Amino acid sequence: MATIFETVQDILVDKYSKPKESITPESTLESLGLDSLDLIELMFEVEDAFNIRVPQEAGTALKAATVQDIVDNIQKMIEQGEATTPVGGSLPS
Amino acid sequence: MRRVVVTGLGVISPLGNDTDTLFSALLAGQSGVRIISGEGPRGPYTSIGAPVQFDPAQYFPPQQRTDQIDRVSQFCIAAAAMAVKDAGITFTDDNRGKAGVSLGTGMGSANTLEETFTQLLLRDPDRVKPLTVLKVMNNASAGHIAIQYGLAGPDLTYSCACSSSSVAIGEAFRQIRHGYADVMIAGGAEAELAFGFFKAWEAMHILAVPDRSNPSASCKPFSKNRNGLVLGEGAAIVVLEEMDAARRRGARVYGELAGYSSSNDYQHITKPSVEGQAQAMTLALADAGLSSADVDYVNAHGTATALNDATETRAIKQVFGDRAYKVPVSSTKSMHGHLLGGAGALEFLISMLAMHRKAVPPTAHLDIPDPECDLDYVPGLGRVDQDIRCVMSNSFAFGGTNAVLIARQPS
Repeated sequence: MATIFETVQDILVDKYSKPKESITPESTLESLGLDSLDLIELMFEVEDAFNIRVPQEAGTALKAATVQDIVDNIQKMIEQGEATTPVGGSLPS
Repeated sequence: MRRVVVTGLGVISPLGNDTDTLFSALLAGQSGVRIISGEGPRGPYTSIGAPVQFDPAQYFPPQQRTDQIDRVSQFCIAAAAMAVKDAGITFTDDNRGKAGVSLGTGMGSANTLEETFTQLLLRDPDRVKPLTVLKVMNNASAGHIAIQYGLAGPDLTYSCACSSSSVAIGEAFRQIRHGYADVMIAGGAEAELAFGFFKAWEAMHILAVPDRSNPSASCKPFSKNRNGLVLGEGAAIVVLEEMDAARRRGARVYGELAGYSSSNDYQHITKPSVEGQAQAMTLALADAGLSSADVDYVNAHGTATALNDATETRAIKQVFGDRAYKVPVSSTKSMHGHLLGGAGALEFLISMLAMHRKAVPPTAHLDIPDPECDLDYVPGLGRVDQDIRCVMSNSFAFGGTNAVLIARQPS
C-alpha cells in the first residue's frame, strides 16, 4: 500500500503537473509553486484520497511549509479520526 | 467636458467569435438559434437557444486552469483580449492607474451554480468543489481581466437583468467623462443555457415556442406571430478611451460614445412602460446633446414578446414623432437570441459596427406584419451603403431598469 507521502506525491503529479522527481518530503510548497488556493484544492483531493474530512476550523490543517508537514497533518487527522464526522453532516432521511 | 471614443471591439457570440463573422451573418439574416439538447437529472431534455461555439483552448494558454473559471468569465476574458488587441493599447505604469473594467451580467456563473447544487443535492451532500466561491462571484470576470492587464482603476460589475451590460458601458463612459478613468474595458456577458435556468425561464411562460418548420426562425421580433424570446449566450467587450488621448496615440476610432441614460419605469417588476422607455431615450439624447432627428439607426430591445415590441414601438413613436417611420429600427435578437445581461453590450457593439461599416442589420423572421408594430424594422436582409452618423441602442429590463446608449461618428 502506498505511503501517505507517495499518495500526496501522486496527487501533485496528477493534478498539478509537478514533475515527480521534484517532490521530496523536504520540498517547500513555495518551491513547488503552490499558492494558498492550490492548498485549498489540495485539501479537497486529500479528503478523497484518504477518505477523511479536513475540519473547518483547521483550514489551518494543511497550513504547511513543506510536503512533509502535509504528510504529518494527514497522519494526525487519520489517527484522530476527525474525518468520521463530516463537516456538513448528512442529509436528513 | 471630456469626450469618450470606442477604439476596440471583442465578441463571443452565437453568430461567431469575431466581429467580421458576426456582422456578415447579421447582414445575411442568418440565425444562431437552434434546438438544444442536454442532460437533466431525470434524463435528456430539449429546449431552444442560441449557443456559442467556444473552445477555451483557443483562448487560454495551456497552463491556465480554465476549470477554475466559469463559462461566463471565460467568454468575458476572451472577448476582452480581442477588444484590447483590436484597440492596440498597452497598459503600463503610465496609464494603469486610470484604466479600469466595467462589466454587466444578469445571472452570472449560472453553469457553476447548477453544477454545484447538482453535486450537493444529488450526489454528495457534504461538500462542493474547493474554489466554487471564486468561480461563482459575479465580479470574477472583472477581477480576472484587471489582473491580466494590470488595471488599477475602477473595477466594477453591474447587475440589472437585461440592461446590465448597457449600464456597465454607460457607467464606464461616465468614469471617463468625469475624469475618474482614461481607459475602460467595458461590456458584459451571459452564459445560462443550463437546465435549471431553462426551467426558470419556461416557468415565466416567456420563451418562444420552437418554430416547427424552422427552429432557427423561432424568435420573431415585431412580427404578428411573435411568441417569446430565445435565450442566447456570449460576451461583448468594448474599449473606451478619452478622445484626446486616443487621438494622441493614433488609435483607430469606431465612433464616439456620446450619450447614456439610466432610469426606471417604477411601475411593475416585468411589465414595460411606454413612458419609461420614451423617457430613457429622451434622456440619452439630451445627454448626447442630440435630437431624435440626428439618429440614423435604432438597435431595438426587441425581445419578441408580445408586450415589449408593441410598447417599444409606441415609445419610439413618442420620442421620434413622424421621423419614427423613417428611421430603421431592427432587433438583432432575432438572430443572436437574448443575451440577457450581455445583450446591451452585444447590441451596442453591433450598432458601432453598423456605423463603422455603413450597413444596417435586419430583423430576421419578420414575415407577418403586426398593425401595432408599423415601423421600418428592416425585415429580412441588411442594408449596405447607408450613411449612418448616429446610432441608438436600447436596453430595457425586468426590475424596470432602462438604459440607452447613443454613439455618433467621430467629429
